[in-house]
Amino acid sequence: MEGALYRMVDPFLNILSYPPIQRAVIACVLCGAGCSVLSVFVVLMKMPLIGVSMSHAAFAGAVLGLLLGMNPFLSGLMLCLLVAAVLGPLSDRTDIAPENVLGIVFSFLMGIAFLGMGILTQTKAGALNLMWGSLLNLSETDIWVLAVVTAVLILFVVLFFKEIRAVLFNRRIAASGGVPERMIYYILLFLTGAVVSSNLSTVGGLLIFALLVQPGATALQLTYNLKSFFWISAASGIFACVLGLAASYLFDIPSGASVALTATFLFALAFIFSPKRRQNQLSERKPMP
Amino acid sequence: MTEEILTLADVTVHKHPSKLLSGVNLHVLKNEFLGVIGPNGAGKTTLLNVIAGFEKYSGELKLFGRKETLKRSRHTRIRVGYVPQLFPVEPNFPILAAEAVMTGVVGRVGLFRSPGRKEREEALRLMEMMRVAHLADRPLGQLSGGERQKVSIARAILQQPDLLLLDEPTANLDIAVQKEVLTLIDEIFVRKALTILFVTHDFNMLPSHMERVVMLRNGEKIFDGSIREALTGQALSGLFQYPLETFERDGRRFVSYG
Repeated sequence: MEGALYRMVDPFLNILSYPPIQRAVIACVLCGAGCSVLSVFVVLMKMPLIGVSMSHAAFAGAVLGLLLGMNPFLSGLMLCLLVAAVLGPLSDRTDIAPENVLGIVFSFLMGIAFLGMGILTQTKAGALNLMWGSLLNLSETDIWVLAVVTAVLILFVVLFFKEIRAVLFNRRIAASGGVPERMIYYILLFLTGAVVSSNLSTVGGLLIFALLVQPGATALQLTYNLKSFFWISAASGIFACVLGLAASYLFDIPSGASVALTATFLFALAFIFSPKRRQNQLSERKPMP
Repeated sequence: MTEEILTLADVTVHKHPSKLLSGVNLHVLKNEFLGVIGPNGAGKTTLLNVIAGFEKYSGELKLFGRKETLKRSRHTRIRVGYVPQLFPVEPNFPILAAEAVMTGVVGRVGLFRSPGRKEREEALRLMEMMRVAHLADRPLGQLSGGERQKVSIARAILQQPDLLLLDEPTANLDIAVQKEVLTLIDEIFVRKALTILFVTHDFNMLPSHMERVVMLRNGEKIFDGSIREALTGQALSGLFQYPLETFERDGRRFVSYG
């Protein structure tokens, strides 16, 4: 029995001694934590299109960086921050539907990204890595950037938790009560840009969207408590990333894809076994008094 | 002399191609209960949004004797409580009724500080006053419309405002619940010595302490006077461009829709 267990675990323990694999595992934990904390906002503020726009801004910025010979992370971050600075005031305007604004920004960024890829004279592998991620080619600097960005995001949630709860509940009511909701919202947009662009090298600009929605959607099935919501979301994000990486190693499949599929699988499990859903169904079935 | 809480001088809200508010002048004294009445699209909610600091306007607005703009200090915002029309909350949304009430204290407490036991007890007392204390641990999205409105009022009162803005707080509630919410609003007005602006278009469901009424039509103020003068067939027919009659029962005036 012990021998069988050892034979199963041993290949993993062996491979964990390689620095690129160690970096990949650390990156998975950081990526899962950062993206899943953001996904709480994406899901509760119903802003998945903002997540999509930011991930494409990071991707387009990084491709432009490759074209101009700049660091792709920095150029991705710069375009993300620029998009956040434009999206914030535009989504606050009442005379333009936010969905239309996001649709325009999103298609514009897609256009820039693919134009950049089209005219890229060097090999396309670098650009494709930004799209799918490349967990096994991470440098120590990539890990440090990821760690700092994730730490700032978590610090933001801890320091402003009560303000965040008020803003998540209703931005207008929060503003009327003296909560600096615009500051919270804008910091959130900038942090979304930073998290997304620092994760281009891990899961990539396209598949990151799975991690910006699924962990929050998973937590929504399981708890009414906002603190637990953050914890469950973070745990499911980290679990999806680490399990996805292990599956990618075991079955020799692309890591980004296996992370996205694992996150979807976790959501499906949460949905099927959701105590909240069952409770709602029961209360709907109860006859009227 | 009674303190003037709110002053609007020639306030206009222009959104191309129409004016949502046109040259509105208004003076509200401390501890007044003012009704804002008008048909749909009259500018009632726009007026409340201007006072709450959500809407751009031209003209002058003074709150508590100070000229204000859209950019307001935290202190000024806290002094104006706001209860919006009933809005949907998803049954799954992770906020309990007590937590929703506690959001009213966030601005008051300020950044980097947590609400203490005093604030939590205050929230519970207000929930008791609004008859929703037994629902404190229930998810907000699973409460009925009337219960959510009572939670919303408790949240606004916890903010300790001097001026309370109520935007059709009884809209979309059944008649019994409307009556209960109005009674609670009357009770708050007396116990908390507030100044209240109450927007509605239902004259048969008015709080009993409302003494003064402002009528709006097409963004213009067309009447400002006592509720007795307002509730006449002639005034209301003119306001709604529809024949309306009033009748009296138990010393109160009611509107008949014919």
